[in-house]
Amino acid sequence: MSPVYLDKLTKIYPNGYEAVHDFDLEVKDGELMVLVGPSGCGKTTVMRMVAGLERITRGTLRFDDKVMNDVSPKDRDIAMVFQNYALYPHMTVGENIGFALSMRKLPKSEVRKKVKETAEILGLEEWIDRKPGQLSGGQRQRVAMGRAIVREPKVFLMDEPLSNLDAKLRVQMRAEVTRIQRRVGVSTIYVTHDQVEAMTMGDRVAVMRDGHLQQCAKPQEVYDNPVNIFVAGFMGSPSMNLFEATLNENADVLTLGSQTLKLPASVLALKPALKKYANSRVVVGIRPESLNAPGPQTQKGDDDVSLEGEVDLVEALGSELLVHFSTDAVRVEAEGAVSEDAEGLDAGLIAQRGAGVARVEPGAQVTLGGKTTFSLNPSRLYFFDSSTGLSIVE
Amino acid sequence: MKIFNRLWTKTLGFIVLLAFTAFFIVPVIWLLLAPTKTDHQLIFGNPFSFGSFHNLAHAIRVTFTYQDYALLTWVKNSAIYSFGGIAIALVASIPAGYALAFTNFIGRRTLLGITLFVMIMPATALVLPLFLEANAVHAIGSPISVILPFSFFPFGVYLSYIFYSSSVPRDLLNAARIDGCNEWNVFRKIALPLARPVVALVAFFAFVANWNNFFLPFVMLPSNSNYPLPIGLQDLLSSTPAFNPGIGGDVPILRPELAVATIVAMAPVLIVFLFAQRSLVSGMLAGATKE
Ligand SMILES: Nc1ncnc2c1ncn2[C@@H]1O[C@H](COP(=O)(O)OP(=O)(O)OP(=O)(O)O)[C@@H](O)[C@H]1O
Ligand SMILES: [Mg+2]
Repeated sequence: MSPVYLDKLTKIYPNGYEAVHDFDLEVKDGELMVLVGPSGCGKTTVMRMVAGLERITRGTLRFDDKVMNDVSPKDRDIAMVFQNYALYPHMTVGENIGFALSMRKLPKSEVRKKVKETAEILGLEEWIDRKPGQLSGGQRQRVAMGRAIVREPKVFLMDEPLSNLDAKLRVQMRAEVTRIQRRVGVSTIYVTHDQVEAMTMGDRVAVMRDGHLQQCAKPQEVYDNPVNIFVAGFMGSPSMNLFEATLNENADVLTLGSQTLKLPASVLALKPALKKYANSRVVVGIRPESLNAPGPQTQKGDDDVSLEGEVDLVEALGSELLVHFSTDAVRVEAEGAVSEDAEGLDAGLIAQRGAGVARVEPGAQVTLGGKTTFSLNPSRLYFFDSSTGLSIVE
Repeated sequence: MKIFNRLWTKTLGFIVLLAFTAFFIVPVIWLLLAPTKTDHQLIFGNPFSFGSFHNLAHAIRVTFTYQDYALLTWVKNSAIYSFGGIAIALVASIPAGYALAFTNFIGRRTLLGITLFVMIMPATALVLPLFLEANAVHAIGSPISVILPFSFFPFGVYLSYIFYSSSVPRDLLNAARIDGCNEWNVFRKIALPLARPVVALVAFFAFVANWNNFFLPFVMLPSNSNYPLPIGLQDLLSSTPAFNPGIGGDVPILRPELAVATIVAMAPVLIVFLFAQRSLVSGMLAGATKE
């Protein structure tokens, strides 16, 4: 129950690898901070530095106003869910959950009571006397979770705590974790790969890449106003479509491959900085849901521009269609920004020149192999500097 | 066809196992039968015949009463030396292996190298230097002069090191630290309970080595009343007319009596093995971390 301040934290591993670089983060009292980033970007390393399991090479870590750099893990009063569970194999589920409490010399009856409550919340009552070796992956993960939430520490650290659960349980646990965190009001750092968790659970989201903090803001803010190509491509599933484009001399006509999109004055008014990119290259970003295919419910706005693509694949998800199309524009890949969810897709398709995805209503008229003209509101376009990758905002 | 094949493989496996069992068990059966016979029967009779309970009682009585129950004194001495050695060996080697596996200190690799080196050195090579050392501190003839060298068990250190470094994930210990354990409790509550199979293994090997050790006590202990079993047996052997014709006591120690003494010497190893075996369970660490 104290705010956490990470001030220019840097971690250089003994082999010389710099896993985290000048990392600044403030987790307010009782806030749930979600930490996202591609695999290997240093999320676990940040967690381990906060937990005291890795030495901080440079920078200061504070809980409230106390510098924690040299405080041993047992005195930091944190609870952590390890990415790989780290359950005590010789203890039962109940003993695992109650271990921290009994180490803190709570009376036995109270330990039992709390363990029971926690097990109920996590749906583990049935397995309370089993050893971890006799549990499934999802059950183990819940035990790992239980070991943390049974306590009321200063800080929660959760490293992908729901990654091994099935979809239904994950939704249930997501709500449960949020509820518990709100109730006990413990400052929390929560690592996840799951877009939905990142968007729904966090008070704020911190996006990391290669040991650097990219952006830290409210989830909707990160989604709506990503600071650069990387964040734009990382947040959201399916990822934002990114194409190379050129602006004409008035910066009001955008050329994508052989297609031209007329930008209305309103766009330029919103983003006057685009003027500086007249006659030059930019990267344009289109969220899949911004693209509309012709269909019964599609309403075309006055300023709407159209983008034509050849439909390669249609994925019907019930509530919506994911239409994979290709154009002759050059697709930009925000390096390392393909989120895990996208890995299930046909890799060949993603790499394809000019490929894009549209998320459209189920009744939309798209034919496999045919050409479809998507309409989109140009005010929902994103622009990025093609050399720095930074968002063009003003 | 397939079923026939499987049957054939099974039968073959069974026959091979049976042959090995016979190979190992026949001498034991012979040994167990030996005290039931007279010395003459033992040499000229059918090797697998049963003599009589009368003979057995006689052999047992003679063996035990030899030199006023010397056999029991030897057993007692052996037990003191062996278990004393094991106790110190365990207390030293399990934490030592743990420390070698999980902490980084200057000279760690060197220490590991030395452990390995001493492990492969024959124990007998150390006996004379040890004798000189014990002599220098006037410990010759005391139980300490045997127990201390017995407790020096580099194999145990290495076994414990291998176990901790290969089977116990570091994060398990970290989880305990976060749960509020100090370093002693991390070892006591997590690392040590997990090492149960290793403790059993080290204890068993140390026991066998100590129980059967002949040369070291032979050098260190000059008096009959301090002898452990192996030296006692040798003493017994040397008073057997069959092996030492010059000797003739009032009640001679013959081969059936020697067999009794041998069984007495063997039995504890068997018992300790049965106990240790129960702790040699595999899969202690199942479920600790995501594979
Ligand atoms: N002990 C170590 N020594 C050297 N390099 C390490 C060590 N631990 C981690 N690394 C490296 O540091 C980088 C960050 O690792 P980290 O575990 O923090 O990534 P992560 O963001 O948690 O990834 P994931 O999402 O896959 O869990 C990786 O490139 C990794 O290879
Ligand atoms: Mg990680």
